[in-house]
Amino acid sequence: MKSKLLAVGMLLAAGSVQAQPSAPAEIKVGALYASSGPYASISMPVFDGFKLWVDQVNAGGGVEVKAFGKKIPLKLIAYDDQSSTATAATLYNQLITQDHVDLLIADSGSVLTSVGVPIAKEHKQFLFDVSGTGAAFFTDDNPYVALMADPVSTIWPHYISDFLGDEGAKAGIKTVAILYSTNDFTGTQAAALKGFFERDGKVKVVYYQGVPTSTSNYTVLINNIAALNPDAVLELGYVGNDIAFLRNLQDSGNQFKFVFSIYAGTEKEEIEKNVGVSALTNIYSYVPPSNYVYKPEVGMTQQEFHAAWDKKYPPGSGVAFGANAVYGYMTGLVVEQTLATTKSLDQMDIHNAVFALSGKLKTLDGTFELRKDGAQIGEVTPLGQLQPAGKDELNLIAVYPPDLANGKAVIGK
Amino acid sequence: MHKPNRIILDAAIATAVVAVMGIARGVYSNELMLFNFIMFLTLAQGLNIIYGFTGYLPFGYVGFYGAGAYGFSLVVMHLHVPAMVGMVAAGVAALVLGVILLPLLRLSGAYFAIASMAAAQAVYEIVANLDLESVTKGPYGVSLSDVFAPATSYYVALAILAGTLFLVVWLRNSRFGMSLQAIRDDSVSAAMAGVSVVRGRTIAWLLSASIAGLVGGVFAWHISVFYPDTAFDLSVSIFSTVFLLFGGATTLSGPLLGVFILYGIYNVIGIAVPQYFQFTYGALIVLLVLFLPNGLVSLLTNRGIRVP
Repeated sequence: MKSKLLAVGMLLAAGSVQAQPSAPAEIKVGALYASSGPYASISMPVFDGFKLWVDQVNAGGGVEVKAFGKKIPLKLIAYDDQSSTATAATLYNQLITQDHVDLLIADSGSVLTSVGVPIAKEHKQFLFDVSGTGAAFFTDDNPYVALMADPVSTIWPHYISDFLGDEGAKAGIKTVAILYSTNDFTGTQAAALKGFFERDGKVKVVYYQGVPTSTSNYTVLINNIAALNPDAVLELGYVGNDIAFLRNLQDSGNQFKFVFSIYAGTEKEEIEKNVGVSALTNIYSYVPPSNYVYKPEVGMTQQEFHAAWDKKYPPGSGVAFGANAVYGYMTGLVVEQTLATTKSLDQMDIHNAVFALSGKLKTLDGTFELRKDGAQIGEVTPLGQLQPAGKDELNLIAVYPPDLANGKAVIGK
Repeated sequence: MHKPNRIILDAAIATAVVAVMGIARGVYSNELMLFNFIMFLTLAQGLNIIYGFTGYLPFGYVGFYGAGAYGFSLVVMHLHVPAMVGMVAAGVAALVLGVILLPLLRLSGAYFAIASMAAAQAVYEIVANLDLESVTKGPYGVSLSDVFAPATSYYVALAILAGTLFLVVWLRNSRFGMSLQAIRDDSVSAAMAGVSVVRGRTIAWLLSASIAGLVGGVFAWHISVFYPDTAFDLSVSIFSTVFLLFGGATTLSGPLLGVFILYGIYNVIGIAVPQYFQFTYGALIVLLVLFLPNGLVSLLTNRGIRVP
């Protein structure tokens, strides 16, 4: 009897030993990036920021994986989709079906993320959506996607309308022109803004025009806007659009009381390099985490990250530091925390681990908080203004909302 | 070779290609890559029908492909019909566009090529127009998650490939196909010999357009999320043309070789070392134009050997 019990005990023990999954030699992380084409300017900083995190983790012996109780090195498998959705679709498939990556990171922006969402869902692979903010990506029936580093597009612009309806109205701003590029990211923001203005009824929209994202000359459009004499002009585009718009605005000599551009602040270094300080002076923009100090509980502070970035990618050597660099690094931090808590590398366990971080994870990018469908709602986008700070220098000052402001807005031509 | 034997050989090649692409899905799991192969195999043959058999080279071939993609999407989105009905709409949309563009056949050579490209661009501008957002979703693209069915759409694409290959087999061996080639070589002589030039060109043009439309429709079904830039991407025309010319037009096997070799290289280089892709592709095309202007198959046809 004793020997039988012993045998059963040994069998059970053997079974329990076999049930322990063996640790892989490496955690495979698949990612896409665009080194050329219209999305390279937002994709490369994200990818470089993410690579910086991977290198940092591997230099420390790997990432802590709770499921295996040890540190495991990361293997980054990355492909260049060259800003093509067709190529990106094939490469998402390649990462999932051929490379069998454990974690899948989307390319930057809504367009290149869009093709990855249904593919990841079809293959039941969780997609770490870095900055694809298109509202259509997030549905209750798809647990295989979550937005990491940007709030969904509808959340971004509400401080603009609040500011114009509040302090803007006091300074005599009554009319606004909205010029936007027709893509998910900026089109959704434009529609949201128009809705906010119409709802509040304090500022009248006198011009509302969408133009292709490939637009590179705004001269005629600026003259059309000037003919309507609006008090405020909001230009919502990608980096290339903003550079062209700000250059053409300066060349045209037209002035408005309030001019807003997304990337003037979001990618300040890149835009400043291309349009110069004078074209950017007193322009309003969002204040990204690369210009606003949040107190992180995980990872580097903004200053530490900026220093690490400049060490790895010295200024002038390639991609400039900006919000997208922070988004890439921040995505790495979410991956790190996910692996530190997930029960296994099963994709639904990864989903559960990512969602368990919601509201608890505070990084240099602010609070990571997810809606039930995976949309990012924790991060805020204060309104800022590029104000002169000495000769040939601009500071991006947060001017609204009052509880996040660190300076006063200067409204006027 | 006797005619029955020729037909059997052509049909055997067509059957083998369809079988290989069918089996490949069970062996290789990057289904989208295989689907793209099927797409270009079909598009290259569709282009073969109009260029190989009549001599018209439409640079704007992607216009029919895009029309098919949007024909499929519009009926699925707005009428909520099953995907197979959407496929019919895709073919019809391209056919209607083909009829509208029939006057282009009055042009020839470079004029026809450029005019067809302008027509494709015009269709793109209409589809991507912001004012039509409520109809086409404008520049924001289409999402068809309700009908997303990668396996079914893969086999439908395979069926379209099979139909197209057997159509080319028929054209190569039929009286009608011969009359088209006669028109291509000398339309005046063909007309004097009793061949209806206008009828022949019209049928070839509409067949070619419908095939591109069906491929566009099945692409929309398979990928389910796309933008107007993707559906009217000029590289679809360029790739199809290069694959066709690389292999050799008018034959069945030429376009097949072109796709398998060039698209194979594209995928290997494009994934592993994308920075060398354009160089390698450019060098291959320059060598082809210099030494084999009639495509790979001319290595055999120049020696009097019949190529399927």
